[in-house]
Amino acid sequence: MASNTEGSSDWLYEARNITKKYGSFTALDSMNFHIAKNEVVGLLGDNGAGKSTLVKMISGINPPTSGDIFVNGKKTEIRTRSDSEAAGIETIYQDIALVDSMSITRNIFMGREITNRFGFMDHKKMEDVAIDILGSAVQISGIDDPRKEVGFLSGGQKQAVAIARAVHFKRNILLLDEPTSALSVRETEHLLKYVGDLKKQGTSSVLVTHNLYHAFMVCDRFVVMSHGTKVFEATKKDTTIEELTDHVIRT
Amino acid sequence: MSSGQSDHIRKAVAERNKRPLANKFMDWIRDNPEGGIFIMFIAAQAAAIIFGLLFPDQFRYLAPANITVVLKSIAPLGIMALGVGILMIAGEFDLSVGALYSFTAIVCATVSNNLLGDVGEAEASAVAPFIGMAVALGVGTLAGIVHAFVTLRFNIPSFITTLGAMLIWKGGTLLYHGARALRFKPTEPFATMFGGEVGVVHASMIWFLIFCVIFYYLLHHHKLGNHFYAVGGNRNAAVAIGIDPARTKYIAFAIAGFMATLSGIVAATRVGSIQPGGGLGMELQSIAACVIGGLALNGGRGSILGILFGTALVFTIQDVLLLLQAPAFYFEMFVGTMIVIAVIMNTAVRRAKA
Ligand SMILES: Nc1ncnc2c1ncn2[C@@H]1O[C@H](COP(=O)(O)OP(=O)(O)OP(=O)(O)O)[C@@H](O)[C@H]1O
Ligand SMILES: [Mg+2]
Repeated sequence: MASNTEGSSDWLYEARNITKKYGSFTALDSMNFHIAKNEVVGLLGDNGAGKSTLVKMISGINPPTSGDIFVNGKKTEIRTRSDSEAAGIETIYQDIALVDSMSITRNIFMGREITNRFGFMDHKKMEDVAIDILGSAVQISGIDDPRKEVGFLSGGQKQAVAIARAVHFKRNILLLDEPTSALSVRETEHLLKYVGDLKKQGTSSVLVTHNLYHAFMVCDRFVVMSHGTKVFEATKKDTTIEELTDHVIRT
Repeated sequence: MSSGQSDHIRKAVAERNKRPLANKFMDWIRDNPEGGIFIMFIAAQAAAIIFGLLFPDQFRYLAPANITVVLKSIAPLGIMALGVGILMIAGEFDLSVGALYSFTAIVCATVSNNLLGDVGEAEASAVAPFIGMAVALGVGTLAGIVHAFVTLRFNIPSFITTLGAMLIWKGGTLLYHGARALRFKPTEPFATMFGGEVGVVHASMIWFLIFCVIFYYLLHHHKLGNHFYAVGGNRNAAVAIGIDPARTKYIAFAIAGFMATLSGIVAATRVGSIQPGGGLGMELQSIAACVIGGLALNGGRGSILGILFGTALVFTIQDVLLLLQAPAFYFEMFVGTMIVIAVIMNTAVRRAKA
């Protein structure tokens, strides 16, 4: 493979030899992971395998203890959320990351408010865009007021808001950490189809899920993790659901 | 981009906008903690006015003297509460504002008096009080930044940091100045700008309202205000989305220190002297005003309107009790009761909405 200072230029993102320690506990152990152009990666593994840790590492809020990161083949430091934003990475976190006391619109634009040059917000425009995007990725029912406080939404509705936000701001890479855990069957199908559409438009995704059938529907490549390392990797045409299941359970 | 779902939301929004004004107002009252406090404020005013009309001699609520005094003395608490409230929305407390209020007022008066800013001086200086004020505001803001630094650097509750700071500023005042009162009779134009009157409205009241407007735009319309809510409401979510909570909280602490100082200077200008212990207890009153105005103790919720109503209500009660010649501890008992009732009401409003 490439040298120490350069990654493959076909890859949007590459993490090489990543170790992440929480105190003395090693959550990621010399992990290698990459995201190519135009692909959906399925990230699988048992509870506590380190999937969310990897996702947070990629999105910058949980920087690695050691290891190298390459974006479009160039060595890059991603140690804060701003770094990953600059790299075009957007995340739907497993713990959702919404502020209950704020409205749907304000949650969607939190930290990325539409403002004039003095920093004053354009509420009208933000609300308009919010309404647009609430109808795009998932069409969750029951949301009819973009000013409603997020704390009053159902679990699935909250997840829909988090998805709408990430989908709206995504550029190169979308990370989805168990995005369908609270969604209905219909919404899940819709989101999975949407992830497939995004790929055609040039946005690669990483889908973390415990549902191997969902993963098999949309993913092009699978990475199975266990105890902080990669234990299995295969493209869709080289593997089967049975084989994947086996690796997830066995390790 | 648009879809069936978006159209559905648009229709619902348009539907809601078409409601008659009266309905919108009723919904606002029902859905916002400020609504409840607004009703309570109106009720308290109405009761006081009725009793003032019925018993004009025993209860001089409507006497011009009382109205003048109210319009003169409400501002210091309100100005302090604005700073405390913004910090509370950002998820932190400042218990030291009362002690800081006295300390920085003394800094202001000392600098001003030393530069011949006292009206009694033979060659009195017109700029000296402004220099004194600038220095004091600098000290107050810096104090807020220090509170933020200690709180955030060592990751401890601001409740503890500022409890310590309260005692330190209180002791610092006595160490630096002693327990005697300090004269502060600034020269013009300072005296008129901060102690003058427009009709019955005292200058301090005008400053309070000016800062209400400034902070209204900051909190509700500027992105920084949005970040206060985000950081106070869910710190981890704010981090995950790329807002720097430390930076946001530094600014909020600095605002609290700045406003405590301004509050002290405005009060000193009105009274003409500073009592080193004068601000003690105001930290709790301003927190009370905020809580009564619907701000959540654990951050992320509240509005400038709420702080304004909260301050007005606390002050109305204080005034009524003064007029009834009730001993001072009545006021404290009343405020204590009000805080608990306010939190119960705010919680109930939230639960009813869920
Ligand atoms: N902040 C933290 N401090 C210490 N240990 C942590 C921290 N976050 C995660 N861990 C540990 O790291 C390991 C990996 O956790 P992670 O959340 O990445 O698992 P996961 O693969 O996402 O699991 P799940 O499928 O249940 O979401 C777990 O053993 C967890 O206890
Ligand atoms: Mg996880």
